[in-house]
Amino acid sequence: MFETLFKYPRDDFARSELVYAGDWPLWLLILLIGGAVAGISWLLYRRRHVVAAPQMLAVWLLQVAMLALVIWVLLQPALRIEQLRAGENAVALVLDHSESMAYGESESRLQQAVRSLKSPLAEDEALNLSVQHYEISDRARPVDNFLQSAPAGTSTSIAASLTDVLREARFSPLAAIVFSSDGADTSGGVSPADLAAIAGFGVPVHTLGVGRERMPEDIELTAITLPDKALPGSTITARVSIRHDAPGNTRIKVYNGDDLLESLPVELRPDTNITTSLVDIELAEAGHHHLRFSVDGIPGERELRNNSRSTLVTVADQTYRILYYEGEPRWEYKFMRRALADEEDIQIATLLRVSPNKYYRQGIDSADQLENGFPTTRDELFAYDALIVGSVEAASLSDAQQAFIHDFVSQRGGSLLMLAGPNGLGNGGWGQSNIASVLPARLPPSTNNTFFRKKAAAVLTPQGADDQILRIADSADANRDAWNDMPEVADYQVTGSLRPAAVTLLNVRTDVGEIPLLIAQQYGRGQAYILASGGTWRWQMSMPVEDQSHETFWRQLLRALVAAAPNSVSLRASGDAGSTGVSLRAEFRDDAFRPVDDIGVTAIVTHQDGDTWSLELAPSAEEPGVFRAEVSPTASGTWYFEAVAERNGEPVDTARTSVHYESGQAEYFGFRRDSRALQRLSEATGGRFLEADELDALPDLLRYSSSGITETDYRPIWDAPAVFLLLLLLKGGEWLLRRRWSTI
Amino acid sequence: MPKAVAITLLAVAITALISVASVQAQSDRSEAPRAVREAPGEFEFVRLAYAANRYGQGGWRRQMWRTDWPEAEHHFLQGISRLTRVAAAENGRILTALDEDIFDYPWMYAVEVGFWHLNSQEAARVRDYLLRGGFLMVDDFHGVREWASFVASMNRVFPDRPIVEIPEDDEAFHVIYDLDQKIQIPSLQIIYSGVTWEKGGFVPHWRGIYDDDGRLMVAINFNMDLGDAWEHADWPEYPENMTALAYRFGINYLVYAMTH
Repeated sequence: MFETLFKYPRDDFARSELVYAGDWPLWLLILLIGGAVAGISWLLYRRRHVVAAPQMLAVWLLQVAMLALVIWVLLQPALRIEQLRAGENAVALVLDHSESMAYGESESRLQQAVRSLKSPLAEDEALNLSVQHYEISDRARPVDNFLQSAPAGTSTSIAASLTDVLREARFSPLAAIVFSSDGADTSGGVSPADLAAIAGFGVPVHTLGVGRERMPEDIELTAITLPDKALPGSTITARVSIRHDAPGNTRIKVYNGDDLLESLPVELRPDTNITTSLVDIELAEAGHHHLRFSVDGIPGERELRNNSRSTLVTVADQTYRILYYEGEPRWEYKFMRRALADEEDIQIATLLRVSPNKYYRQGIDSADQLENGFPTTRDELFAYDALIVGSVEAASLSDAQQAFIHDFVSQRGGSLLMLAGPNGLGNGGWGQSNIASVLPARLPPSTNNTFFRKKAAAVLTPQGADDQILRIADSADANRDAWNDMPEVADYQVTGSLRPAAVTLLNVRTDVGEIPLLIAQQYGRGQAYILASGGTWRWQMSMPVEDQSHETFWRQLLRALVAAAPNSVSLRASGDAGSTGVSLRAEFRDDAFRPVDDIGVTAIVTHQDGDTWSLELAPSAEEPGVFRAEVSPTASGTWYFEAVAERNGEPVDTARTSVHYESGQAEYFGFRRDSRALQRLSEATGGRFLEADELDALPDLLRYSSSGITETDYRPIWDAPAVFLLLLLLKGGEWLLRRRWSTI
Repeated sequence: MPKAVAITLLAVAITALISVASVQAQSDRSEAPRAVREAPGEFEFVRLAYAANRYGQGGWRRQMWRTDWPEAEHHFLQGISRLTRVAAAENGRILTALDEDIFDYPWMYAVEVGFWHLNSQEAARVRDYLLRGGFLMVDDFHGVREWASFVASMNRVFPDRPIVEIPEDDEAFHVIYDLDQKIQIPSLQIIYSGVTWEKGGFVPHWRGIYDDDGRLMVAINFNMDLGDAWEHADWPEYPENMTALAYRFGINYLVYAMTH
């Protein structure tokens, strides 16, 4: 219908520009229009005594419109359209040849892709495009034709591969790239910077999606999140995420070597595509533990390689140090120390002001430790992994000592725990101290009493329910019940409003509703907690002797504090079956935790079978003291890394780690079709994303491509049937109206 | 039955009933429905009320646990506030072993324990209290007979834990004050008799019961009377140095209990 009325398809109007073939001068055009309008107006004005004003206005409008249309026709309007010149252009057909393309049922993704790339172009002989073929995975390689051989690419980098194609074709008249893929990209995806670089070539990339976005027959272990460091005997919580497109049931298993540590049934919920489960793992012995997580396949699942991942947890054989600074003897102090009595890996040194003139020290290594009170130097404070500040006034410390605490958290990466008390938190003036910004709440001014010695119940928050610190029973349900049954704390303190990054793990139920009891936030390299009570000791005194809830709470809280504190030297290797390489990150700081930059860092890489080589780590521009490198393991198995820092050719420090790597598995993670990635690629380059049933549009997309060698075509539209139909309507309408008004 | 014997038995029975009722009354008060109470301080001095044994059931001895009350704790609490940073309440509380609130006060004082009688239920409660982390200071009992009475009930609390002399280097004697000199702290009778001992208790003993981790749970002041020294701190006749020493022992026990 559109084409009948306007002579050409709608798309031609969309991709063309309206021009006028008539070469009338502009002044003549204006004169003609002005004269015609004036003439019509004068003629009608003369009949003003015969025709009413509204009728006169309607006739005037119709006559002016008809006159405008006639003048427009006289201008000879036409469509100017750019199209490829036949026989002089090229198109690059790019086939994703990575292993994920082998997946499929009766027809693999690769077969679908080859078919999609061949069929529409074969029909367009008039365009006579020169066709270049490329297969891509991590890079692109030109091929003579698509032979449908088994995909061999063990990794995919769409950005790098398309850049290869564009660079190779930059001297040829490339009209477009037609890229058929599932969009699965093991390099982490096409970044905005990559998109901008590809778009900068000016060649539209049309993408043809193959495969399915939803695969109900498959589940995938997408992510495992857990601390990379733990204390011996600690229970750590792994957050295991499973991707699924249908509800069902599976089981998560955790292995340490060949030993099955945990086996947890999981219901794959129908209301989400990602089900996340928490798995508690107890690691008794010190050392590097390569934990392998796997999920049982679901009925009908064909690809099981994405059901398993591994990660490293280092159980450090070291003693962590905590400094507890308390301003008054109180029960919380006593019972916290008792809870940690059997803790072998944490040494808690306490500095307690027992009387106005006396500090009492416990847990110290030597007679001179803390002899002069709270540390007066940065180095002395930074020797601890965590700091607890109890019911003590901020004014008891100098500005410099408060600044040390600030830096202790932000730069050293130490953990800070502030406790409530009559002289703690807001009452103690900490809200106006140098560490106020470190804390997860904006403490009220010290002029208002915020500390109340009233019993109140602790209430687990949703975030707290998932946190290992508050896990005092085996299962999530039992844990919730245990917290519901916990005795009240003896007192609480109002913390003030929370900072945006703060997470509330426990609330306390007071006369005026629930307020935060245990809150935390990351600050710089460290963490800051507030426990807004000095009365958790009631949990110990009010429950049976054999109950360990109080001890467990404190042990886990303090273990979390120290485990989060980094050592001055560290080496982390990240990579497993789901990645295509291993990322090394080494950090070197001095004893005062200042970044060390005047060193060179070399990593010695060793495979379990003995193959070894070394590589340089490059200093990070963003993070002082950090050195990075990407390693491409040549085989599966355990890889050991040793980062050696050298200054003037002399080794100054070393750090070690290891990783268990499975080669060639990455293609099976995230291998559902990623239509959004393909759409983004097309939109950024001026191309189009096409489904299988839209392939017919491809020849036209190529013919009118904005890239390549084009020619201009002018298509007159003044003689379109719609123009004459409109003329007829305008004049006929006027005639009918005047007949009705009996003015003719 | 001779009339005199019958009257005596009747009197004993009535006295026992009154004593039990008095102790029970304390318990009933604390078990009544209560609004959320704001505690007046971190440390509240709790005096243990107990039923007396057969030696303490007659006459004024029917409520031996009240001895020195309330002046002893009144003075001692002021001393704590003056000499330490412990946030002490102004007044003490009285609780029985079976009172549920007992677990809200991890420090407890019992006086004249040569006359106490803990039945098996009370003994179990005190045992629980101590093993959970509570601390008990006993005071003002003298001589062999009162020791035996004390031990009889204490054995019901801890049948298998020995009572030992607290070593000189124990932190209980050093946590604030270094209490190296062990001087017998006498009761008020020193004013009248001029001697520091009574009932044959010539040698003072600082004894204790420890938990499995070597922490003192029960401090036993045998053959001395710290309570009297606290109570009569405002008596010009009572030796001031004895009061000062009694404060120091009491404060050390308290701060020890709050730190160990």
